[in-house]
Amino acid sequence: MTTTTIPPAAPLLEDLPLSVGRRLAETLDPAEASVIQVATDMADRHTFAAAWLVVTDRRVLLLPATATADTASVVSVDLRQVRTARAEPLVGGGRLGIERLDGATLSVYYSNTLAPKFAEVSECLKQLAGGESPDLPTQIERTRCERCHRILPEKDGVCPACLRKLDTLGRLLRYMFKYPWRMMGLLTILLLETMADLVPPIITQYIIDDVLIPQANLPLLGWLVLVLLAVNVLRWVTWVSRRWVGTWVGFRAIEQLRADLYKAFQYLPLRFYDKRRVGGLISRMSNDSDLVEIYLIFDMPYVINNFLMVVFILGYLSYLSWELTLWVLLPVPPILIGSALIWKRMEAYWQRWSAKWSRLSSHLNESIRGIRIVKAFAQEQRESSRFDRRNAELRDVSVSAERTWVVFWMVTNFLMSFGVFFVWYFGGQQVLHQDLTPGELMTFITFIWMLYQPLKWFGDFYGFMMRAYAGAERIFEVIDARREPFDKPEATPIPKIDGAVEFDGAFFGYDPGKPVLKDADLVVKPGEMIGLVGRSGAGKSTLIQLICRFYDVTRGRLRIDGIDIRDIRLEDLRSQIGLVAQQSFLFNGSIAQNIAYGKPGASFDDVLRAAHAANAHEFIVKKPDGYDMIVGEQGNKLSGGERQRLAIARAILHDPRILILDEATSSLDTPTEKKIQEAIARLVQGRTTFAIAHRLSTLRSADRIVVLEQGRIVEVGTHTQLMERQGFFYKLVKTQQASTGATTTGATTPGD
Amino acid sequence: MSEQDAAEGNGKFPKKHAVTPITVTHPEDVDLSTIKLFREPAWMLRLTLEGDRSYTRIKIVRAAPLSHPQDYICLLDAKDEEICMLPDLKGVDDQMRQIIDEELDRRYLTSTIESIKSVRNEFGTSYWEVETNRGEREFVVQNAAENAQWLGEHRLLLVDVDGNRFEIPDLKQLDSKSMALVEMVL
Repeated sequence: MTTTTIPPAAPLLEDLPLSVGRRLAETLDPAEASVIQVATDMADRHTFAAAWLVVTDRRVLLLPATATADTASVVSVDLRQVRTARAEPLVGGGRLGIERLDGATLSVYYSNTLAPKFAEVSECLKQLAGGESPDLPTQIERTRCERCHRILPEKDGVCPACLRKLDTLGRLLRYMFKYPWRMMGLLTILLLETMADLVPPIITQYIIDDVLIPQANLPLLGWLVLVLLAVNVLRWVTWVSRRWVGTWVGFRAIEQLRADLYKAFQYLPLRFYDKRRVGGLISRMSNDSDLVEIYLIFDMPYVINNFLMVVFILGYLSYLSWELTLWVLLPVPPILIGSALIWKRMEAYWQRWSAKWSRLSSHLNESIRGIRIVKAFAQEQRESSRFDRRNAELRDVSVSAERTWVVFWMVTNFLMSFGVFFVWYFGGQQVLHQDLTPGELMTFITFIWMLYQPLKWFGDFYGFMMRAYAGAERIFEVIDARREPFDKPEATPIPKIDGAVEFDGAFFGYDPGKPVLKDADLVVKPGEMIGLVGRSGAGKSTLIQLICRFYDVTRGRLRIDGIDIRDIRLEDLRSQIGLVAQQSFLFNGSIAQNIAYGKPGASFDDVLRAAHAANAHEFIVKKPDGYDMIVGEQGNKLSGGERQRLAIARAILHDPRILILDEATSSLDTPTEKKIQEAIARLVQGRTTFAIAHRLSTLRSADRIVVLEQGRIVEVGTHTQLMERQGFFYKLVKTQQASTGATTTGATTPGD
Repeated sequence: MSEQDAAEGNGKFPKKHAVTPITVTHPEDVDLSTIKLFREPAWMLRLTLEGDRSYTRIKIVRAAPLSHPQDYICLLDAKDEEICMLPDLKGVDDQMRQIIDEELDRRYLTSTIESIKSVRNEFGTSYWEVETNRGEREFVVQNAAENAQWLGEHRLLLVDVDGNRFEIPDLKQLDSKSMALVEMVL
């Protein structure tokens, strides 16, 4: 079970080491209280060493952590003297500049590891300097594992060293024990299989001792051979049935795991996706679940089998002769140590090999995709020689890996053969002293190999198991992550939204402390069309994402129909918002299915009507398969304008109360745009609409235009009003006219 | 394409003809001899183009910090727009040079690895303990073999999971133990 560790209540109030704490106490007045105390990892820009930034209610202090430093080296700045603070990103680190009224700056350097923390500190200092009480963050990403204090490979991620292996294993097993009878059967079969593996050498022992050496007992030989045959039949049966049942259970467990993961993906908030790469998430589905799959289906039975085998063999051997068994065990520690050591080396080689291989294949990929450029610049020869160099690197590493592998086999086999030497020599002696029969000696020799073989894989197996657990843990992390509040019981249901939208002092930042929307006030009446204008990064898209409730405001309020958006049933809200984006996303399916996406039960007549209204019908019927045409992955068989019209048809059929047009008409040629404008004009009627457009001329039909600049709403008014005012909007229109005048075609640039 | 490739490429394929010179007339071309950099007051860095204009809050950056750390120095204004570029620091007076060096030293926090104490490679993630020009440091690199950036045959840049940068200027100059550790992982 992944338990979420409780973060400290005040992450910017870190515990001071004793010496620093004492020095701070000496410096502070009794009534003075720390508001912020954080460590940096760079005492100055030339030294990695701790230093402490302490902010109290009246001043800012900088304390070095070295024990020798006396109070004289404590830098103290009166808070009233602080004008502002600024976190400046540098290359490989950053600097917090605390500017004083007189202009002099106190600098605190930190490595990139602490950059998120100091961004928060800087925000808080700014607020303190402005006389406000600071918004202290409640949570900061963990960069180190709480338990072993190792640096985490992924922030807030899983520490591979501190995996709760047993918990993870238990959780995986629970997926399998959903089928308890089959699991019990599987374990029984495993046990039988192991026994069946052990019987033949014992039979051989009896054949030698009771038939071959006395040279008598023909009937016994017959019986023994029969038993041998029966055991072999049993082995085949168990061999097949173990795999039969094992795969049945294993693949069902994996299926369920994947289903849980996918469901989690669907319901996770967008914020979860912001911080992670799509590739990384997809690899949780593919690579990580593959790791777990191989582990559950192939490795775990193998391990249980071998473990039982070792126990039984050792038991039987020591029953025969415990002295000889000790000799057998003598080479085990060196084999284990040797195999662990060499496996580590092997792993390094394999990693290097796969890195080289991926470099080679990415080069191939690049140069084949870019073959036009290669030829146009006549660089064939150089590309070939670059390829040759990488190819040679791959060859070298392959040769070294293979050589190490050979050495590994040789060394382990050599060590193992020592066991055989011991058994022959000391066992032979025991046979001569009549302490052991020749048949028993043969059993020793056979079992010794069965005992040693699995040890070779020990080094590999441990590593693989850890990787499988890490994979499982990454999957569970997603499954356990907090989902969007779809089923909040106290949420207000709104079956039909009127479409009044009200921003009331709303702040929002993707990173706390870096607001991208500041103090937004805006009241939109139902049915009004609002044009959103501003440079890229001004906050237009953010405003829209808030209306969709992909994110929640960090301060202030956003109300829909007078109700706080956080109290509205999420399903009601989303089902009444329609989105037409610049790059409309279509799913691989027929045109009709795509149009009906937002309203699954729609009749074909509804689809037709929507397509007509979107001016899409005319191009659809020209296609050989008409409405049944498969649009291809992401709609790649259609042109941009066609995709856009389908997206509009989809929105029309969805019949949203609030409509969002995000650059819906950019990157289209003029005749197509006209058709789409027409379609949009139909769509907009009677709905509250927010339209982002880069080409400002397309916003003439908007009731009001909202101009955003650096996260603030700077102008609101009709097109004419704003043009008359000659402010931001006027300037934007003028620059656009100038640039479209200079370049007559293709003046559109993709927006944010 | 890495610097190494470019350098080698030029060596292997002799230029057939010289590059046709192109003159760019920037609308606000800066006469480099008029640049004055100074701190006035001590905490404020200023730049003036004599007889023309003056800037505060300027930023001094390297155009190619890895391949040409000492040349091609860009001067940016407060909005990160380029004011001008110094192709090299020849003919720059001592006082200005000192300011440039200070500012560059302030901006680039890449550390140089002097020796490596240990590298543990676990589950595709490597944990490094190194001695740098800034003192001891631990860092973590994910998939080091793929993410290490080779800047030359023996020159290596490691960027850790947080974006901290560690450079090994010459692998051959490291002590043999450190070298063996690097070999192990890369």
